[in-house]
Amino acid sequence: MIRLYHIVKSYGDRDALRDVSLHVEKGEMIYVTGPSGAGKSTMLKLLYGAERPTSGKMLIGGADVSKMDNRQLPSLRRNMGVVFQDFKLLPHRTVGENVAMALEVIGAPTDSIRRRVPAVLNIVGLRGREEDKAGVLSGGEKQRVAIARAIVNDPAILLADEPTGNLDGAMAVEVMEILQAINLRGTTVVIATHDVGLMDRFPYRRLRFVDGKLVVGGIQPRSKA
Amino acid sequence: MNGALGRALRGLREHAYLAAVSAGVIAAALVLLGVYGLVVLNLEAVVSGWQQDVHVSAYFVATATAEETAAARSELAGRPEVLKVELVTAEQAAAWMKERMPEVEPMLAELGPTALPASLEITLKDGYTSPAAMDAFAASLQASGRFGEIDYGREWVERASGFLRTLKLLGAVLGTILVLAALFLVGNTIHLVVYARRDELEILRLVGATDGYILAPFVVEGALEGLVASAFALVILEVVHRGVLSRLHDAVPVTFDEGGLQFLPAGPLVALVLVGVMIGVLASWVAVQRFLARLA
Repeated sequence: MIRLYHIVKSYGDRDALRDVSLHVEKGEMIYVTGPSGAGKSTMLKLLYGAERPTSGKMLIGGADVSKMDNRQLPSLRRNMGVVFQDFKLLPHRTVGENVAMALEVIGAPTDSIRRRVPAVLNIVGLRGREEDKAGVLSGGEKQRVAIARAIVNDPAILLADEPTGNLDGAMAVEVMEILQAINLRGTTVVIATHDVGLMDRFPYRRLRFVDGKLVVGGIQPRSKA
Repeated sequence: MNGALGRALRGLREHAYLAAVSAGVIAAALVLLGVYGLVVLNLEAVVSGWQQDVHVSAYFVATATAEETAAARSELAGRPEVLKVELVTAEQAAAWMKERMPEVEPMLAELGPTALPASLEITLKDGYTSPAAMDAFAASLQASGRFGEIDYGREWVERASGFLRTLKLLGAVLGTILVLAALFLVGNTIHLVVYARRDELEILRLVGATDGYILAPFVVEGALEGLVASAFALVILEVVHRGVLSRLHDAVPVTFDEGGLQFLPAGPLVALVLVGVMIGVLASWVAVQRFLARLA
């Protein structure tokens, strides 16, 4: 599903990612981990197209996204959900409206939106909360709304950047259980986190970065793709 | 609510205060433009009235007989550029002078009934009142040898024409500066509006919205704000027209065409509305594009 070959990402003189090669299979759930500044978030930004690699090749679902121009990004992102530590919700809009944004963007018909939004809120445990304003929800509930918005289009890949970073222990576990359930439905899930306790409790393959280098979990391809 | 109009209306509802500020700035710019248009329009009418009121006074030589003055009058009345010609005899001129300046009466009595020369008061038709046309007309009178002095306020006509030309040029320059200043002001205001909605834009980008999808409601919002601002500006202009300018009219006695202050005619009013809509659309477009270019 995700193939990276010798990816380098530099900001001026500083290399945020250095010669990273990795494979993530379809339906896999993996962690991108490492200390602060190791390159976890940069890795995710490359995957959802917010940044372009300085060099190397990056294939997602068979498409070469390393050379994708801005006009092609919407089609990449429509097949990919993204969840952030700070939720990125519109607080003055309702839960239903926040989730529906992802469907409106692709021009989904109104009756389909009316059907899909409650169904996906049911998956994240927020059934019946469509009319609540997003701004009044707890942190855990906000993250569940963000996850609902990320998966409402049935994306092939779900990227989560420190999804439990702003949550206490019990809520973090709830969110991880939801991500696990989504993965069991066939979605490839990539989680950037440095929470070792959570990774031990939900054990999946770990890609460990240190100073921009992938030190655990990568591949060593014989030649550049 | 999927359409651009629906999303624009939702945006206006959610950010009513910011939308009102944007519309207010556009309205202020349009009022400035409109007031300037009103001033130029009415000054043009005044100057044009002045030009039309210009008379040519042709004073006969002292030796001219009554037959000669009458002949000159009927000859001039037949010329294509002459609208009206009146003969003022030496006696009529003296009576006019006595009436207005009684103190000169003894002097006029001493000089006799022909102290002041007879004259012709000539009104020219429209199109013959430019400085060049009046110069040519005066020269032709002078060449006839019947007249001693020709007076037609040449300097005044030239000044009025020059003033009108400068006014129009100033109007074009100031109008351009005003539109650019309005665009800059509205652009910055809408840029702040877009900045206040940066989370929404960022989320739309993340869920796969195209630039066109993101831009469309902002452009519609800009057009609606421009439309509302134009309507508001027209109301203010009407109030200004009826109030301030009317008072000015009463305070400064000047001649207006058709007896009163004019309001902007339909053409410029439609243009003002279009300029308002254009400013709203353009400023929104540029502000959102600039913001999107910085977003990942």
